[in-house]
Amino acid sequence: MNRSYPYLRTAILMWVTAVIVGAFLLRIPKMSILEHTARNLYFHVPMWFTMMAGMALSAFHAVGVLARPGREHDLRSATAAQTAMLFGVLGMVTGIVWARVTWYQGTDIWWNFDPRQTFAAMSLLVYAAYFVLRSQIDDIEQRARICAVYNVFAFTTVPFLLYILPRQVTSLHPGAEGNPAFSDITDPRMRLVFYPAVIGFIALFWLLYNQRVRLGRLLAAADRTSSEHDRSLAS
Amino acid sequence: MSVVREALVVLSKDLRLEWRTRAAISALILFVLSTVFLIVYSVAGEDLQPRTDAAMLWVVVVFSAAIGMGRSFVTEEEQQTATLLRLHASPGAVYTGKLLFNFLLLVTVSVLAVASFVFLLNVDVASGGLMIATVVLGALALAGATTLLSAIVSKTRAGAAVLPILLLPLLLPLLGAAVLATTAAIDGSAWSEASDHLVTLAAFAGVTIAASLLLFDQVWND
Repeated sequence: MNRSYPYLRTAILMWVTAVIVGAFLLRIPKMSILEHTARNLYFHVPMWFTMMAGMALSAFHAVGVLARPGREHDLRSATAAQTAMLFGVLGMVTGIVWARVTWYQGTDIWWNFDPRQTFAAMSLLVYAAYFVLRSQIDDIEQRARICAVYNVFAFTTVPFLLYILPRQVTSLHPGAEGNPAFSDITDPRMRLVFYPAVIGFIALFWLLYNQRVRLGRLLAAADRTSSEHDRSLAS
Repeated sequence: MSVVREALVVLSKDLRLEWRTRAAISALILFVLSTVFLIVYSVAGEDLQPRTDAAMLWVVVVFSAAIGMGRSFVTEEEQQTATLLRLHASPGAVYTGKLLFNFLLLVTVSVLAVASFVFLLNVDVASGGLMIATVVLGALALAGATTLLSAIVSKTRAGAAVLPILLLPLLLPLLGAAVLATTAAIDGSAWSEASDHLVTLAAFAGVTIAASLLLFDQVWND
């Protein structure tokens, strides 16, 4: 892992750069209303896919905390949730700006009730509550366990929020009642950049997550060393 | 003792304690009534659409639950009866007993809220049966979400105060389905139209209760 990591990192960064360049320079089919803002598709949707992947990873490690208690799974669970939230916020911002220039063009509004948008915002609130909970418990092992329980519990409601409910309610998003499915409206030319974009942003997530996990491990080790040092000085 | 009997023992203990002090139920009743009076004053006699009435009803119920339900496990820790409970009943039984107790409290709160809306805000509920079904399923789903979370918050520093933060984002599916079903009940729609929403409520209740049963062990035993 350590040996190949620099090469992997370079490869991922080059891939994402290629995706961004391709997103802005390659041709896209002509679409009414959307026109060139359709390029946002390459960013907005992969951000959300990445957030969901991150949340799944966080829940996976939360189960790991419950099965095998220890610092490692807890650190990974929290880091995955944190990084997933970053991508979620980016997805939300790209969505708001995109809606402002397309759906809400001509009006003065930033936010209208769109079910999928509201559900996504609530998902972010659920994970923000996870971090509030983390700050509320002092004992390290108990905190790991209780927060893992909340993580798994919250994750069971995510499929409701992000998949089942948006399809039942009318919405401007594709895939909701009254709109064609997402795969129906994505032209093959767009898929050429879209699928690499999804892969690229998930890989970018993994990069950030990996670095933060290693940072967390180092900080924990530094904490332990300094407290041992203090103890040895005191004796 | 079997799990069912243990759960019923926990339930009867909670009911008996509640009957003696009436602390939680009186707080909930007063909260619901005060909030409804605030709404009555703010609305000031304007005609409201069924959807708005339904939305306000469930916001009142959900907030009552968030504020009133936090205490169920906190009191166990405070009165130091938690250890005794751990010795006498299995975690599944403790959870089921508390769940049933919370369910009964929430049904009472919901019925009271519906009654006050009918009397004070002149909401005319056309389909009574559908309303009852919505209240029962909604209270079950709410109890399912709240019971595990109140066990979680009993371990935190701030205790019951942090329950609304944890609970409210998780309740979105519940709120959506309950409001739509209640709107259908007020409008007097056929059951077939509201069945989608009732199924969502039941599914939400099932998922949260199943997840809580699996996870409660981890929170209860430390």
